Amino acid sequence: MRRLRWWHIPLGIAAVAFAVFWVLVLSGQKTWFSEQPPLMIIPDMDDQFRVDPQEASRFFADRRSFRTPPEHTVPRNASAYPFGQADVAEAEKRFPTAPIPATPFVLALGKNRYEAFCQPCHGPEGKGDGTIVQRGFVQPPDLTRPEARAYSDGRIFHVISAGQNIMPSYAGKLTEPERWAIVHYIRKLQQSAMTAAAVPAGAGALSQVNKRGEGQ
Amino acid sequence: MFTPRTDRRIKQVVLWGLGSLLTAALVTYFGMHNRVTDVGYRPQQPVPFSHKLHVGELGIKCVYCHAGVERSAHSPVPTVSTCMGCHLVVKAESPRLALVRQAYENGTPLEWRRVHKLPDYVHFNHARHIRAGIDCASCHGPVERMGVVSQVAPLSMGWCLDCHRNPERYIIPAREISGIFTGLRANGQTVQLAQSTPVTNPPYGMWSTPVDTPEIAGVPMPKLPGRGPENCSSCHY
Ligand code: HEC
Ligand code: HEC
Ligand code: HEC
Ligand code: HEC
Ligand code: HEC
Ligand code: HEC
Repeated sequence: MRRLRWWHIPLGIAAVAFAVFWVLVLSGQKTWFSEQPPLMIIPDMDDQFRVDPQEASRFFADRRSFRTPPEHTVPRNASAYPFGQADVAEAEKRFPTAPIPATPFVLALGKNRYEAFCQPCHGPEGKGDGTIVQRGFVQPPDLTRPEARAYSDGRIFHVISAGQNIMPSYAGKLTEPERWAIVHYIRKLQQSAMTAAAVPAGAGALSQVNKRGEGQ
Repeated sequence: MFTPRTDRRIKQVVLWGLGSLLTAALVTYFGMHNRVTDVGYRPQQPVPFSHKLHVGELGIKCVYCHAGVERSAHSPVPTVSTCMGCHLVVKAESPRLALVRQAYENGTPLEWRRVHKLPDYVHFNHARHIRAGIDCASCHGPVERMGVVSQVAPLSMGWCLDCHRNPERYIIPAREISGIFTGLRANGQTVQLAQSTPVTNPPYGMWSTPVDTPEIAGVPMPKLPGRGPENCSSCHY
């Protein structure tokens, strides 16, 4: 046995720390967060001299890689919504009814899109009680009230595509078929609200439909 | 051949040399893995945007902001006008949103710091994975619980291939909070649009193919996707 020396102690500690470090690393445990960009010893061709989507441009002075398309042009596969917020009448004339039928597939798509894009403000049943409204957003009108039930399909499509006052436009985020699917789904919400109103609360199975909206 | 003293020296040098070579090899092989260098990257963003607040508490779904992730290779980070749709009213005066308002008024983009980055010679496609019903959390972790987004998966080639070989070990099926539409309730129905869209008729490839939905007790089951590819040219081209 060799004599224990003073420097054996820090050496031992370092050895244990080293072992723990490797156990963590080899077991794939994330051990720390870092604000530094990942270390790159050999950059390979990781960052090539081209512009990737959402990357800053090294060429244009304003660093925008996404250039504004020339006026009066539309990107391929995209459609520009031709009407402004105020052109309700023209839009209604152009789209008298929904061009796609309300098949179960379309209703499922509409439900999914409504829940993702409209529910934060309009609430799960269109009553205008979404989470954002509870945090101080302007309360939107009830989509199931009689006036809204009388809106034409084209008018609802127009509101989604062009926005209305403080409500933003969703033409850039939702494709046309998706917007029509939402119109169909809103019709379904209006129908179920009507059925629920016709049956006194607590009567039979139909009251289940209205359960989530009961608080209002 | 040598004096005992020189002999000992040589043995020492050889042993230490081998030892340090082995250590260096281990450190570069394991320590330079993406798991160590990339995972946990959590840059501070210019605006203190929190997924925990917006997704976790307010229940805004991923596709509201990352709209288009179901259709394109890259997942779009929202423009400032998306933020201002709500923030024109909510917290309109908040100093934390000063940069967003400034960008909105000047029409300039807000430069977020990028977290996930594959090398430029790898082609990854979000749409393909999302349409297979793979949830964002399979690759990005529980973003809805993150105050600041950090990288959770190594994004190494081994990781991609491991999931392509054993998808069941990695895939979390699409969750409600992601808001992705997987066509699960399709029941063979398709959206026919070519004839019916009045403004223009975009080729509507997505969702136009019927999806089989095996149903169990009336509840549609997620369609488990096939395996991903393993041939080099599907990712490097
Ligand atoms: C950011 C919150 C917000 C979101 C998200 C939102 N809306 Fe609205 N919506 C409003 C507000 C606020 C109004 C009332 C606008 C006004 O003052 O005229 C409104 C009005 C409407 C109206 C007209 C109601 C009427 O009677 O005049 C319709 C229809 C409508 N929204 C549909 C939708 C649909 C469909 C979606 C999803 C694609 C959606 N909204 C998403 C906030 C929102
Ligand atoms: C309110 C809008 C909003 C919602 C909802 C949202 N995000 Fe984000 N997301 C952003 C913004 C803005 C950024 C860029 C800033 C950052 O990295 O924090 C971002 C960044 C990200 C990034 C990092 C991108 C990079 O740079 O690599 C990931 C991954 C991500 N989001 C995933 C998700 C997931 C998964 C969800 C749903 C659980 C979600 N996001 C919901 C706005 C949103
Ligand atoms: C659908 C509506 C909505 C969208 C879109 C949205 N936010 Fe918010 N955000 C909110 C609400 C509501 C709050 C306030 C929550 C509360 O009451 O504390 C908030 C709070 C914030 C705060 C904290 C403000 C403070 O002073 O506490 C920041 C920062 C913020 N949002 C940034 C963003 C950014 C950046 C975007 C765009 C990527 C964005 N938000 C998009 C609804 C939204
Ligand atoms: C199969 C794994 C996987 C899934 C599922 C996935 N992502 Fe990603 N995500 C990645 C990878 C890999 C990157 C890096 C892409 C690159 O650098 O080219 C990335 C990058 C991103 C980015 C940064 C911008 C970009 O695309 O370069 C955002 C934002 C993002 N993802 C959001 C999401 C959202 C939202 C979802 C769910 C709807 C999602 N991701 C689902 C693997 C995935
Ligand atoms: C969570 C599991 C998972 C991860 C992680 C994953 N993939 Fe996939 N990937 C799949 C599945 C499953 C499919 C098959 C999708 C289908 O059935 O349509 C697929 C399909 C693909 C395809 C389409 C191939 C074709 O034939 O067109 C490419 C390319 C691809 N993956 C690349 C990648 C890359 C690059 C990464 C790593 C950055 C990655 N994937 C990570 C599960 C994954
Ligand atoms: C599922 C997608 C996928 C497939 C299939 C794939 N790779 Fe890769 N490859 C990647 C990713 C992701 C990276 C980047 C890893 C990183 O960031 O370190 C990569 C990196 C590489 C690198 C560079 C490694 C480095 O760090 O310098 C080489 C070389 C390579 N791949 C060769 C191949 C060959 C050969 C094949 C066919 C046997 C193949 N790849 C198949 C996704 C793939």
